[in-house]
Amino acid sequence: MIRLWCTQVLAIIRLEMKKTFFARRGLWVYLLAFAPLVLFVSHSIAIGHRRAELERIARDHPVSRAAFNDIQPGMTRDEVTQKLGRPYTQWSRRIRDGHNDQRERSHWRYTDGKSELFLSFEDGKLTSIHRSELDTLSQVSRIFAGVFQSYYLRLAVFFGCVGVFVNLFRGEMLDKSLHFYLLTPTRREVLLAGKYLAGLLATVVIFTSSTALQWLALLWQFDRTTIAEFLSSTGWSQFSSYLIVTALACVGYGSVFLAVGLLFRNPIIPTAIVLLWEGINPFLPAALKKISMIYYLQSLCPVSAAADRDVPGLVQLLISPVQPATRSVAVLSIVILTGVVLVVAARLSRRMEINYSTE
Amino acid sequence: MSGDRINLDNVSRFYGEVLGVNRVTLSIPPGITSLVGPNGSGKTTLMNLITGLVRPSRGRISVLGVAPSQPEKLFRFVGYSTQFDAFPKGLTGSQFIYSFLRLSGRPAAECRELTARAIKQVGLVEAAGRKVAAYSKGMRQRIRLAQAIAHDPRVLILDEPLNGLDPLVRSETIALFKRYAAEGRHVVVSSHVLHEVDMISDQVVLMSGGYVVAEGRIRGVRSEIQEERPMQFLIRCKQPSLLASKAFEQDRVPDAQRRCGVVEARLLPEGEGVLVKTRDADAFCRALNHLALDGIDIEGVIPADDNVYSVYEYLIGSEEATQ
Repeated sequence: MIRLWCTQVLAIIRLEMKKTFFARRGLWVYLLAFAPLVLFVSHSIAIGHRRAELERIARDHPVSRAAFNDIQPGMTRDEVTQKLGRPYTQWSRRIRDGHNDQRERSHWRYTDGKSELFLSFEDGKLTSIHRSELDTLSQVSRIFAGVFQSYYLRLAVFFGCVGVFVNLFRGEMLDKSLHFYLLTPTRREVLLAGKYLAGLLATVVIFTSSTALQWLALLWQFDRTTIAEFLSSTGWSQFSSYLIVTALACVGYGSVFLAVGLLFRNPIIPTAIVLLWEGINPFLPAALKKISMIYYLQSLCPVSAAADRDVPGLVQLLISPVQPATRSVAVLSIVILTGVVLVVAARLSRRMEINYSTE
Repeated sequence: MSGDRINLDNVSRFYGEVLGVNRVTLSIPPGITSLVGPNGSGKTTLMNLITGLVRPSRGRISVLGVAPSQPEKLFRFVGYSTQFDAFPKGLTGSQFIYSFLRLSGRPAAECRELTARAIKQVGLVEAAGRKVAAYSKGMRQRIRLAQAIAHDPRVLILDEPLNGLDPLVRSETIALFKRYAAEGRHVVVSSHVLHEVDMISDQVVLMSGGYVVAEGRIRGVRSEIQEERPMQFLIRCKQPSLLASKAFEQDRVPDAQRRCGVVEARLLPEGEGVLVKTRDADAFCRALNHLALDGIDIEGVIPADDNVYSVYEYLIGSEEATQ
């Protein structure tokens, strides 16, 4: 019997493959999945160019990194020039202060090839020092964590799963072709499993490959030695964690949206409810947080996304901090949530009817 | 007996407030059974109920002893060609048949063989490699039929299967149904085309407004209503007036065996014969034999309303008119 079910599941996957991977109406799923890749590639290209430019400038105006640390506010332009030499770029302007007084503001820039020093003078005295580092690996991994958790998981994978899994049943209802499946000697549960696995295969391939490419795109700006060092320390573990989290997001959200497509004639409302529930997760009390996918997915992320500094204080107050779940609990919880949703959907699929006229 | 029949026991199906079918009790034997009725009479709902595409609100259904709620068993021996004119996208005719055959768990080689055979049976060999989306209406009808017969089912259910077919394919398809019926299989067909129903059916189920109005062999249904709707015979003979008067006389003879229930006799124009209405067709046919022996030259006897047209007209036509 198991062998028959496996054969049937494979036959369903083969039938669904073209639809899940190459459907014209599924094109936007690829756009969602690969949008961050475009951003990261552009970022890497821009940073790469900037790094090359700063290195060239540093060769023409050599400054040591240690000398940067000697610069203190209140120093005069001459003192600064004595320590760092002439800046590679500078500009100044006069501003009127009151009726007669005029002040001179000037800005100097230095680089050691890896970072930039921005100095602001007022009437010849150093008033502010700002140091800007080009991307470091730890910065890059924080950027990735932020994009991955706030955009990729919450929006791209979420809506990608909506697009793929809802259509597995609902799309065929609308196309009026679902009955062909129901006219075969296939248990409804097997049909559901086959469709779920077909959707899972598509989303896991699309989204994990995008995750991997995003990761590579971000690392691309660094030299080989830096990348090799990073990968051998925490890089591979972070990389595999992100792939696993992406795949688990497809597993969890996939089951939810398969059930939505099966049970609801209009999937927009339940999708909006799930989106809202996942969106307000940071503000929920600890017990309710745990009845969501995003809580467990974020618990599995190797780098926690830094809180946005622009978030108003009042909103920050509403965020309820909670310890992330351990790895095993997080994985187990996602698997259990998925299992429960699929079992309920399978039971309900036995009551599924073909009534295209009401669709 | 129920093991070789399609049984519906007091089956009703409602779509909210709307009636699909109501209190349908049927026992369909092997052979060709036609579901006849106007649009919205419940034919498609009945077929969908038999195949489990919809569930009954009340009542029980079994197809050769298997409930429609067990598709894994039912569709091993049932094939259903629906009226839904949509197909999974991007598949060619043979891919369509093959892919859904694979869902039965059969090995690939067997599925390929069954696909080729089904496509040959419906005459689509040349078009098998083309996308179904590019098929004409008739070809789509045939590929649906091919899908229904591909696994060589014992029960074939076909919703308006002759729609859109050209005359040659129509006759080939009818021949296929007849061959299936001759092999002792069930062929349940819904149709609007009454002359085809009349030509192919072993039995009919007349439906109207979600109810089964009559069922059985056409003759049986016809004789059941002969009290309200006397049976008509067209008799060609050289002495129509004499035949008409003798026919009435038969009802007055003392021998009850010779009485024939004639209620009306109308002479045909140009004196070619007489149209007789009788409430007892069998007795009238016996009486005709006596009349022939008495010396009336009878050239031919044709039942004028012993067909599905008349039965449909008598049972449903009046209801349609009132609706």
